[in-house]
Amino acid sequence: MGNTKFHSDQKYIEALLKNDTVILSEIYDKFAPKVVGYIKNNSGDESRAQDIIQETLITIYKQAKEKGLQLTCPFDAYFFLLCKRKWLNELKKHSNNQVTINEEIVSIDDESVRFVEETEIFNAKHELFKEMFDQLGKACKELLKATFTIKSMEEVALKLGQSYGYVRKKKSLCIGQLTKLVQNTPKFNKIKNLL
Amino acid sequence: MTPEEKYELFDRFCSNELSATEKETLTKLIRENESIAKELKLYQELNSHLDTRFTSEKEEEALENNLKAIGNSHFNRKATTKETKMIRMPAWAYAAAASVAIIFGVYFFGQSSPTYNDFANIPELSITERGNTEKNSKNAEYAFNSKDYAEAEKHLLILLSKDKNNTEYQFYYGLSLLEQDKYVATTRVFEKLYQGNSGYKYKALWFEALNQLKQKKYDQCAALLKNIPEDAEDYLRAQELLKKM
Repeated sequence: MGNTKFHSDQKYIEALLKNDTVILSEIYDKFAPKVVGYIKNNSGDESRAQDIIQETLITIYKQAKEKGLQLTCPFDAYFFLLCKRKWLNELKKHSNNQVTINEEIVSIDDESVRFVEETEIFNAKHELFKEMFDQLGKACKELLKATFTIKSMEEVALKLGQSYGYVRKKKSLCIGQLTKLVQNTPKFNKIKNLL
Repeated sequence: MTPEEKYELFDRFCSNELSATEKETLTKLIRENESIAKELKLYQELNSHLDTRFTSEKEEEALENNLKAIGNSHFNRKATTKETKMIRMPAWAYAAAASVAIIFGVYFFGQSSPTYNDFANIPELSITERGNTEKNSKNAEYAFNSKDYAEAEKHLLILLSKDKNNTEYQFYYGLSLLEQDKYVATTRVFEKLYQGNSGYKYKALWFEALNQLKQKKYDQCAALLKNIPEDAEDYLRAQELLKKM
């Protein structure tokens, strides 16, 4: 994927990274109506659609920020499919009854589906990482937050009243512990199977 | 290798701080032990996740707030449009609404770009009343007041050739040129007048401003208008025009 030419819709990804109000408004004007239509046809309303759209955009932003997402497919299909699947997951989560889904015929090519799956895996991992981070001890959480916010390990050591060597060692142990926590959860294997 | 040593090695790998020997040790470790390879991969991923998460926390919050605002405005706007569609109007109401729209349209259109014709109030020329029997005076007056400005120009020019410092002739000569869209010549005449000290000083300034307005040179027009003092006859009109520009 890395060598392929970007799609001109990459501008929407850039807008998310730059928080560019003009182009972000364009996303709402151009792409929201289709999502709203779909959600309203499937047991939802406009306010739920607004939430789904916002959450999806934030997910795309996070992926772009961390992994440098580079679109080679149109934003339209990619965005719609992400919103749609997110909504279906919500319905499944909150309803014990079988939900009737009015399928829309949307032409979605393989390329878009591939991008959607990548974003979904990214998001699932992201959620899991956050959940596991919260399970760490208080000391680890504070130390990791400080090291990644402050960047300079010397400053972190000073702030926590510890030696540089200790802070450095503790940081690697805390991430090691987090790695184990993630590896040992069944959810992680589920995500891995999606790959 | 103890877990402590392993994670320290992982950490130094993520920060690109491994020495050549350490690199060799790690490569060997990964090759020989698949579970360590997997663990390093995840460790690296978590490291990058934490880094982005804590570095861009504020940025993400700003984006979230902005999206919320854009979303709110997008969805509220849509809701308003929908409500408007629900109102049923009788046919006459459409006609009334259309008339109002046209009136407003005309009003605002006129207001948005003031024109020369809105403001030019050409005074009458009367130069024969003082017993002046000069043929050119009568002809000039007649031509000017019947809006035959080309003819008026000719007669005023003859009068000026005999009395070149007459500011009244000069002023009306300027107006005749202005009405014929002879912009440059007009400016030459009015400029001389408003730089002088005759009774036509500010009248000339006002009409020179209108000359600029006629050419849609709004900046120049405004600059001239600002020089018209409060006690001048055209002060209020000048202020009105300034406001409209």
